[in-house]
This record gives sequence, C-alpha cells and structure tokens, in this order.
Amino acid sequence: MSSPYLEHANTDKAAHIWRYTPWKRAHPTGTINEVPQSESPEISISLVDGTSVPDGITIEPATESDIERLGHELDFDHGTAAPKFIAAVAKKTMILKIENKIKVETPLIVTITTSGDICASRLLIDIGSQVEAEIITLIEGNANWTGILREGQYGSNSIINDVVTQITGNRLVRCDALSLCRDAQVKAGTVNASSSQAKIDIRHWLNEPGSSLKVNGSILSSNENHLDSHIEITHSGRQTHSRLEWHSACGGKSNTTGTGMLRIDAGAKGADAGQLFHNLLLSEKAKANSIPELEVLESEVVGCGHGTANGPIDEQQLFYLSTRGLDEEQARAALIAAFLNTPLSDMGSNLLHGWLVERIEKHLNLI
Amino acid sequence: MSEDAREAVGDYKAGWHDPENATIRFDYGLSEQVVRDISALKNEPEWMTEIRVKAFHHFMERPMPTWGNMHMLEEIDFDKVCYYLRSSNATEKNWEDVPEDIRNTFERLGIPEAEQKWLSGVTAQYESEAVYHSIREDLEEQGVIFLDMDSGLREYEGIVKEYFCSVVPFSDNKFSALNTAVWSGGSFIYVPSGVHVEMPVQAYFRINAKNMGQFERTLIIADEGSSIHYVEGCTAPTYSTDSLHSAVVELIAMPGAHIRYSTVQNWSANVYNLVTKRGVAHENATIEWIDGNIGSKLTMKYPAVILKGEGSHAEVISVAYSGKGQHQDAGAKIHHLASNTTSKILSKSISKNGGRGSYRGMVTVSPKAENCKVNVVCDALLLDEASRSDTYPTMEVGNSGARCEHEASVSKVSDDQLFYLMSRGHSEEEALALIVNGFFEPFTRELPMEYAVELNQLMSLEMEGSIG
Repeated sequence: MSSPYLEHANTDKAAHIWRYTPWKRAHPTGTINEVPQSESPEISISLVDGTSVPDGITIEPATESDIERLGHELDFDHGTAAPKFIAAVAKKTMILKIENKIKVETPLIVTITTSGDICASRLLIDIGSQVEAEIITLIEGNANWTGILREGQYGSNSIINDVVTQITGNRLVRCDALSLCRDAQVKAGTVNASSSQAKIDIRHWLNEPGSSLKVNGSILSSNENHLDSHIEITHSGRQTHSRLEWHSACGGKSNTTGTGMLRIDAGAKGADAGQLFHNLLLSEKAKANSIPELEVLESEVVGCGHGTANGPIDEQQLFYLSTRGLDEEQARAALIAAFLNTPLSDMGSNLLHGWLVERIEKHLNLI
Repeated sequence: MSEDAREAVGDYKAGWHDPENATIRFDYGLSEQVVRDISALKNEPEWMTEIRVKAFHHFMERPMPTWGNMHMLEEIDFDKVCYYLRSSNATEKNWEDVPEDIRNTFERLGIPEAEQKWLSGVTAQYESEAVYHSIREDLEEQGVIFLDMDSGLREYEGIVKEYFCSVVPFSDNKFSALNTAVWSGGSFIYVPSGVHVEMPVQAYFRINAKNMGQFERTLIIADEGSSIHYVEGCTAPTYSTDSLHSAVVELIAMPGAHIRYSTVQNWSANVYNLVTKRGVAHENATIEWIDGNIGSKLTMKYPAVILKGEGSHAEVISVAYSGKGQHQDAGAKIHHLASNTTSKILSKSISKNGGRGSYRGMVTVSPKAENCKVNVVCDALLLDEASRSDTYPTMEVGNSGARCEHEASVSKVSDDQLFYLMSRGHSEEEALALIVNGFFEPFTRELPMEYAVELNQLMSLEMEGSIG
C-alpha cells in the first residue's frame, strides 16, 4: 500500500512548493520514509439550518471504480509526495456524491472530526451535472496531525461554492485535486484561522471549454503559526476563466506563505486568468512570502496576470476611523476584519458568509 | 557558416568570424593544471592562484542547478570548451597597434567610431584578453581608473584583493565558481570621491573562436558621491557548436554613489550566457542595471543589488527577446537589508517563433529593514502560438512596515493597435515592429541614444517575416 508513496517521498528542495515548508517538516513524524498508522476521522453531512439532507446527496465509502474514476487521473507534479502519503496512510476513502440536477439552497456541511495522533482521510468529490449547491467542509477535532486529500470533479453546468475551513486545529496537510467539467462555475474558498502548521496544496484543472473558477483564501495567522498555501490552476480547455484572491493577515511571530502557479496550456485559446496575493503584516515578527508564478504557452489569451502586495495597515485608513470615534485597537480590528472579509464575502451566499463570519470572528482577537 | 547554424540564427548580423590567429590557445577541457596555468601565464599573486584553485574544486563538486532550463544546461559539455585563448600579446592604447584582423572586427562593430563620438573610455575584449583599452585623459587626471581586470590586478593589487569576490563569492553558484577559476579580462574601474564621469565608458566583448569560453570579470568601485555609467555589448560569430560565456560582475557603490550598468547582449544563438551580476549599495547610493537580452541560446542572468546602506536605491530595467531555439531566463534580485531602501524592477519580454521568455526574480526585506518600498512589474508579449512566457517571482517580506508590490501580465499584440497603425498607412509588419519598439521603450529610453537606435533597428530586423 505504501510503495506508490515511497517512490515520491524524496522531494526536490528547488521546487517552490517545498521551499518554505519542506516535506520533512510537513510529514507527521519527520521521517519521510515512514508510513505510520493513522486514525480515520468521523465524517458526516448536514445542512446549515439543521434540516435533513435532501435525497441524492450521500457520503459513503468509495469503491475501487470510484477511486479509479476520480482519484488517479490528476498529476501533482512536484508536490506528489503529500497526496500520495495521505492516500497511503488513510484507512478509508469516502465519496461525497451529489446527483445530477440537484439544487440545494441551504449550504451543506461536511464535518470531518479528527482524533488521535495522526488522522488521515481521503475524500472523493463527485458533483453531477447541473447541480447547484454550496458545500462547507469543516475540519475540526483534536488530532495532532491531520491529512485530508480531496479529489474529484465538478460536473458540467454545475454551479458550486465549495469552502474548506479549519478554524481550530493543530497540524494540517491538505491536498485538493479537482477538475471542472464543461461550463462548470465554481467558487473554491479556503478559510484557515489557527492551524499551528498548515501545508495546503490546492489544484484545479479547467480542462473543458467554458468553465469558470474563483479561488478565494482568507487566512489569519497568529502566534507562531506556520501557514503555507500553494494554489495551482491549469487552463487547458478553451474559453476558460479563473481568478484567485488570497488574503493573509499575519500577526504574532507567524510565517505565512502563498505560492501560486497559473498555467495556460497550448490550445487553451481565450483563457482569462488572474491571481492576486495580499499579505497584511500586523506585527514586527510576522513574515510573509509569496511566489505567484505564471506559465503561458498559448498566445491567443484574453489576458493572464498576477500580482502580489505586502504591506502594513494603512495609516490613513486608521486615521479616518479614529476621526469617526474608534480607538486604535477597534480601528485595527475593523480594518483586519474588512481585509479578511473581501475574499470571504465572495465565497458564496449571504447564509454561507454569515456562517463563516460567525466562526472566524472570535479569532480576530488573537492578533 | 553551416546550414545548421544559418537555420539556428537567421539574420544575425554579427555572425561572421575571422580566421583564428591565436598566440596562445589551451587545449579543450578543464583541470586544476589549466587553472594554475592561466594564473601562471598572467604572473598573478599567489592569493589569486589560491582563490582560483579553490573555486575550481567548488565548481567540480557543485551539481548543476536543478531549476531553470535543466535540459539545455545538461547539453553543456565542459570538456569541449577552450578556457583560454589569447589572440594578441598586449592590451594596446591606440587602435593602430591592435592586430589588423582584430581591429577590423571591432571597426565592423563600430566601436572605434563610437569611442570618438560619445564615450569616455573603451575596453575591447577579444576571446580571453582585452586587446584595446583607453580612457579620456581628463578623467585619468581626476584619478579615475579604468583598466582591463588583469592590468587592474597588476597595478592596484591592494584594491582588487579587498573587493574581489566580496560581492559574489566563488561559492555563490556553479558558474560563479567557474568564472573565478578561469577568469580572464573584464574591466576594473575605480571612480574617486565626488567625481562624476559624465559620458559612459564602454566594454565590448567579442568571442571569435569555436567552442570558446569567455569568462571576463568586472569590478567597479564608485567611491563616495561619485557616479559612472558603464555600457557593455557582446557579440559572437555563428557556429553550429556551442560557446560559453560566464561572467561575474561586482559593483560597489559607496555612500551617495551612483552606478548605472547597461548591457545589450546580442550573442549569437549558439552561446550559453550564464552570468552572475551583483552590486552592493551603501548609504544613499544607487545601483541601476539596464539589461537587454536579445541573443544567446540560453541566458540565465539575474542582476542583483544588496541594499546594505540606509536610503539606498536599486533599479533593474530589463528586456528580453526570445526567438527560435532561445530561452531568455532573466530577472532580478533585490535584498533590502537596511531601512528606507527602495527598489524598482521593470521586466519586459517578447517571445516569437517558439522562443521562451522567463522572468525569475527575488525580493527580500529583512526584519530590521524598516519602511522599504518595492515595486515589480513584468510584462510579456507572445507573438505566436509556439512561444511561451513564464513568470517566477519570489517575495519574502520580514518587516511589517514594508510595502511591496508585484504585478505581471502576459498578452498578445492588440488587434486594435495593429488596425490603428495600419489605417495610418503602415504594413502589418511595420505596425508590429512599431508596437514592439514601443513595448521596449521604457528600456531604450534609458540607453545612450546610439544604443537605443541600434536596438530599435535590431528589433525591427527580428520582426521581419513575423507576419504571414
């Protein structure tokens, strides 16, 4: 079971993905050739308002053919070690299925409750065509190290808001590998507020024409957190569209990294892609790194661009709020909240936004 | 010129070569003995020989980079490179004294004419050694030292010993180790305090022989409050086999000094151009790299500035043109070590006929560097479907007061712009050439006029045959 991982265990330090969090550091024991025993998390689904989950939405153990269909077709390139490791240690593979044409107005919560020292789960995502849904994957529990591998596809013409959040927790390695079918419209959100160490590797493939993706990240790092996110978007279908907006508020002695790879394959005519990383540095000892990479192999593109901006809280904005009666602390908190709220408010409906804000708010006091 | 070579380089106009008239030519391949022989031939002090030997061992032990165009790098056969070739026995001060065939080469490249018209000084390097060298008398009287590096070592050993390898240690990377082991030629410049060298000084590097390695070493020290503009140009003949150019440039800008280093690299498409360029800027000093990469097979060049002194400033403006079979992997590195330092990087690249242009950059702000400002802009134009453009920027910010911005975009030539120019009577080809020249304008306006005109003509030539 572990052999496919061991072939990829030695990573290339020159690859940007391992530059700030080497695999040795992200691996649960630090011995990269070790494939330790792990616990399986509890996984359940519910709706935000507590009503029952509609028919056609299920979570169940995946079959071999599910894994064959959704799990192995995607290539992690330089980052293969982490997903292969999670696949090797996870005892169970589950599949979240939403059948064709299902429309759910209330956000669906997939709760992953971890326990034990090492806890790993492989979750396949199989969204049918013309599905309209909002999915919140909530990672909680008290495992010392959590590994989550999410693989799968969003069906053609589906409209999906897919948010993954870890608001409390210890060490996390999360890998996403998801493809968008024809004309799928996906908003993929990540909210991370207090992982002591997180290595997040999110990859999306826009292989079919007309698909559209918005990746949003709202990251709050404090204390001695070490949060490293790598986001990769590959356009290979025609007339595809993607945007990435990643906001990190960095406080305490935290170290926050955002690396992105935007790749436009030859033949992806009419691709329109852009990525933005914003880092708000809140304390003297916080550190932020960003590497937004771009590889363009097609000339007939609408546009491809990326940008990154690092800076402190704007003093003019602080001054403005103080003239409105807020003390410095209140003004800072308001500006940090607004900074994090920009991508957060774009992750889905008001209901989803409200649910996320409620959970992240108390963590603002940490910085 | 062989058919292969003609195919590879197209209309490269500096692609002729002269018969080889070497007075000394080393066998192909590198060994400790070759390194010691180069040093002995130059009668160097022992400390320099020791550095060379240490660098040689470091080069041998150090693996090839595992990033960049590894495929092209692996094609370099270090055993098939000639590491030292001397075609003239002396560095002359009068063009008349330079051997005729070499003088003819530089006359065809327009160097003596340019010197008379608009330069403060010229050094011309042919293969491994400088063959001509001069500086305006008034500058010499003000104490400006402008020598080829070998003469610099002989005449100002103390200064060279103090600064050599101080900015780029031989252990910095594999190619800086190679250069330190076998360096020959290059420029040594010292500008005394308060002296402003108004007109640029120029170095021109020419590789003539096949399978040649050129490893010049340049050291420029601008003392307090002084300024200098150094311009270098490079060409080589067109051969079907590859040559290697691996230079190291070290700049030291003392407090308040200003160094501008302009390069128009137009090596033929069989030259590997693997160069390490780095400067240190002390308090309120400015270092500017104006870097044009038009030729070569593979260029890996990331001009760097270490902003060591408070209030220092760095600027890198680079353009790259990648045609068939070319990969221009260029960029910039800025390290903000002191407070109130600022930097600006502007990178522009054009890829055509399957060429690949990459921007690879790094900006770091150390935790103690307060109130730093960084602005990085990368623009790329892709002219056809076979070409490719990459951007690999890295930003590491360790101070909360730093304001760092990076933006990049990749696009094709706008149909609207083409249509507008064609409606004004230009052919599509002319319109494209105008747009490309306009795209490079932020770079060309920083060059001396003669270079800018030359570059525009060069780009128009490259754009010929782009349409249809």
